[in-house]
Amino acid sequence: MQILKKTNLKAFEKAKKLGPKGIIKLLDEKGLTGRGGAAFPTGKKWDIAFKQKSDEKFVICNADEGEPGTFKDKFVIKNNPETLVEGILIAAYTINAKHAFIYLRGEYENLKNNLQKVVNKVLKKSKSKLKIDIILGAGSYVCGDETAIIKSLEGFRGHPYYKPPYPPVEGLFGKPTIINNVETLASVPQAILFEDWDEDLRLVSLSGNVTKPGVYELPAGYNLCDLIKLGKPEKKIKAVYFGCFGGCMPYCEIKLTPENVCGKNCAIGTYTIIAVDEKQSILDLAYSIAKFYEYESCGKCTPCREGTKRVLELLEKIKEGKATKDDLETLKDLAEHIHETSLCGLGQTCTNHLLTALQYFKDEFEEAIK
Amino acid sequence: MKIKLDGKTIECKEGKTILDICEDNGIEIPKLCYIEGLKPEARCRLCLVEMNGELVTSCSTYPINGCEIITNSEKINKARMINAELLMAGHIHCSINNGTHELFNLIKELGMTRIRFEPIRQYEEDLSESVIRDNNKCINCGKCIRTCGEIMAVYAIDFAKRGFKEHVSPYYNHALHDVACIKCGQCIAACPVGAIYEREHLYEVIKALKTKKKHVVVQTAPSVRAALGEEFGMPAGSLVTGKMVAALKKCGFNKVFDTDLGADMTIMEEATEFLSRVKKNGPFPMITTCCPAWIKFMEHFEHSLFPNMSSCKSPHEMLGILIKTYYAKKAGINKKDIVVVSVMPCTAKKFESTRPELGSGVDYVLTTREAAKLIRNFKIDAQKSEISGTTESGFKNLKDEDFDDPLGESTGAGVMFGATGGVMEAALRTAYELGTGKSLKNVEFNEIRGTEGIKRGKVNIKGKEIKYAVAHGGANIRKLLEEKEKYHFIEMMACPGGCIGGGGQPWPTTKEIIEKRISAIYKQDRKLKIRKSHENPTVQRIYKEMLVKPNSKKAHKLLHTHYIKRSEF
Repeated sequence: MQILKKTNLKAFEKAKKLGPKGIIKLLDEKGLTGRGGAAFPTGKKWDIAFKQKSDEKFVICNADEGEPGTFKDKFVIKNNPETLVEGILIAAYTINAKHAFIYLRGEYENLKNNLQKVVNKVLKKSKSKLKIDIILGAGSYVCGDETAIIKSLEGFRGHPYYKPPYPPVEGLFGKPTIINNVETLASVPQAILFEDWDEDLRLVSLSGNVTKPGVYELPAGYNLCDLIKLGKPEKKIKAVYFGCFGGCMPYCEIKLTPENVCGKNCAIGTYTIIAVDEKQSILDLAYSIAKFYEYESCGKCTPCREGTKRVLELLEKIKEGKATKDDLETLKDLAEHIHETSLCGLGQTCTNHLLTALQYFKDEFEEAIK
Repeated sequence: MKIKLDGKTIECKEGKTILDICEDNGIEIPKLCYIEGLKPEARCRLCLVEMNGELVTSCSTYPINGCEIITNSEKINKARMINAELLMAGHIHCSINNGTHELFNLIKELGMTRIRFEPIRQYEEDLSESVIRDNNKCINCGKCIRTCGEIMAVYAIDFAKRGFKEHVSPYYNHALHDVACIKCGQCIAACPVGAIYEREHLYEVIKALKTKKKHVVVQTAPSVRAALGEEFGMPAGSLVTGKMVAALKKCGFNKVFDTDLGADMTIMEEATEFLSRVKKNGPFPMITTCCPAWIKFMEHFEHSLFPNMSSCKSPHEMLGILIKTYYAKKAGINKKDIVVVSVMPCTAKKFESTRPELGSGVDYVLTTREAAKLIRNFKIDAQKSEISGTTESGFKNLKDEDFDDPLGESTGAGVMFGATGGVMEAALRTAYELGTGKSLKNVEFNEIRGTEGIKRGKVNIKGKEIKYAVAHGGANIRKLLEEKEKYHFIEMMACPGGCIGGGGQPWPTTKEIIEKRISAIYKQDRKLKIRKSHENPTVQRIYKEMLVKPNSKKAHKLLHTHYIKRSEF
């Protein structure tokens, strides 16, 4: 796997020779984009932070991987932490940051000790004066949002806030900050060092009703059916979920590219695939996911705080067979409303699963109403 | 920059949000979590508008050059309606506490007919001596929290839990009376739905009024007369001194006295104390103590200031004790039968009246809002129109009456206590004249007037340059304290605008309304013949007949107090 290739600080050496502008140019040429979901060009992000004039700048590694069904960052932290830390070193060097943070998901506490050891080792070996702190999150899903991470690191409640200003302009403690996902930062040294580095290769987290779940490295545009076959399902697969925020669609022949999947009203951001076989009820799944979002909503904005609760209430009613057609209409109304008017990524995506389920599996809902 | 706003192309400045631009162009946008002067949080999602076809919150979005903004469409209306519906369903609707309910008004405006969800929240009321919170009525707009933190710099409350369970709570989940809350009541003024309100003394007062044996006396603070009219539909800045006195007399109070006289007494004591500090050369700065919320602020957070604080009680406590001693003796009434009620713009005065070290000068404190409720309760306001059969405000048509003797005479100096800078100005008028023996040519100290957060000035008293400063609003207080060594005399008021913007004032209290009320106060000062406290004949009589002279032993016993160290948490 490309992501597991070690760079042994050689990329850092090369980066120092290239200088900040050279690094940004090289990353642009290699076409590295963010792997956290939004696919923003990494070179561009760094360039914005690089151009800001400030006495202090920060680098944050977003290791708060909370999306259900996503575990690729954990895979990287476990298997190639040296390269990840080297990526942080390069990022800090590029924008001249003296302090970096790794915001580690609360549930990944068991990875912290080893990661700390690697950080110490790499820092010592590189003779860099960079300070890297590993900060453990407290288990909140919304803290995977970059603005919520900033608030959390500043010591406030992990609430997201609206952008602009974007973090590379005004981030942690109001200073220019670059926030990159684990997979992105680990790819940086590899992209710099290896001639044959391929931007097209992605880590895919496969889980659900398959017997061989795990992290697969596949080229973008890989066929979904082939991927599911790799997972060796026992029963016939009915649907796939792209994590919880990405929505669901019926199992079919489709090339996994953002454009293709978006055409189905889904989102593929982190390449998370959860296979669902014919034994499962989509309604039950919708209820479980709605419960997850009701629990994880931070409570800041009205549609998400109040709406997720009401969605859950309505789904419960449908499940119990007490619902009417009007309730189904209300549910759809509400799901669209939350999607359109919420403040942050959580709220805007938290009903995608429901909207797509109502689009593709409406009969399952209607059956429960009869 | 050019944009299209509701079909019209307009020119607008950069750096303005869509909300600002809309309001500049006379388009009203509903909003529940917006606080003037603070960075918007975009929580409530009611100020939604369309920018190039996409829904955005107007409070937090800056327009793009050439964009098209629509403020009224089916899509916007639907989105606003569902958000209003969700909020309305999420709390118990109640408008009696501060007299209005913004969300309810909004729902009427939107023409909403149904609410599809049931209220399910259940919380206990959070009680304290002056401020009560009811989370069942809360819509989580966060205005109280931001006011407490960013404007008052107290940080007593914040959100706890998350998602649907998110609610406002004092820290560590304590009750409000167990935390470092200064009781200013600015959270009440901020709340759009009446989920926070004062602890009412209304029913105790009504009971006292109906008890025959009791001699019930009321005193009214300077800033009440400049705001009470708003409760009865009069425009902000209406001065209703005479009508207020008339209405209170109709309620059955035996006497209506003027807290302005207490203010004049405070000035006598405070100015004398200051002059003696000038003689002894310190400790400086001396800091005023009229504001009970500021006192509690100091007791919690600024222990090093104890020697700097004046030892004077606040004006209504001074007058309260004078009523129970001086007036009781004069009128031949047993002081145990006297009930003193203060009508104040303030919720912290409620807490103050329970302080044991102050004695029992004041029995009950009513806010301006409660006073209006009392007046309505006695049906003084309601006047049936003979033609239409509807009731209309009779308060407006009351005939003016004067305060009662012997404690109803006041000066322009006393009236100014209601506005930020007023105490300082009144004290300087007296301190200058008592200190120099000369009379002031111009009694108006314009540099400490107005709503600027911190105001500074200097005056020469007997060859010594006295530097003074005024701050209002907790955040400004903290700022001024950082440079306190530069000054000899400082006035602190916790509420923005001074008492005139207090937590007990009619709702709403905005910056614009505060300015109008302040101008009414200064108008009153200019109108009065006597504008300096030491020239008040009643004040002179009280010293002659009972207290001997300012800062005498007797005056100290009755009119001065001490402070208590309280923990920061």
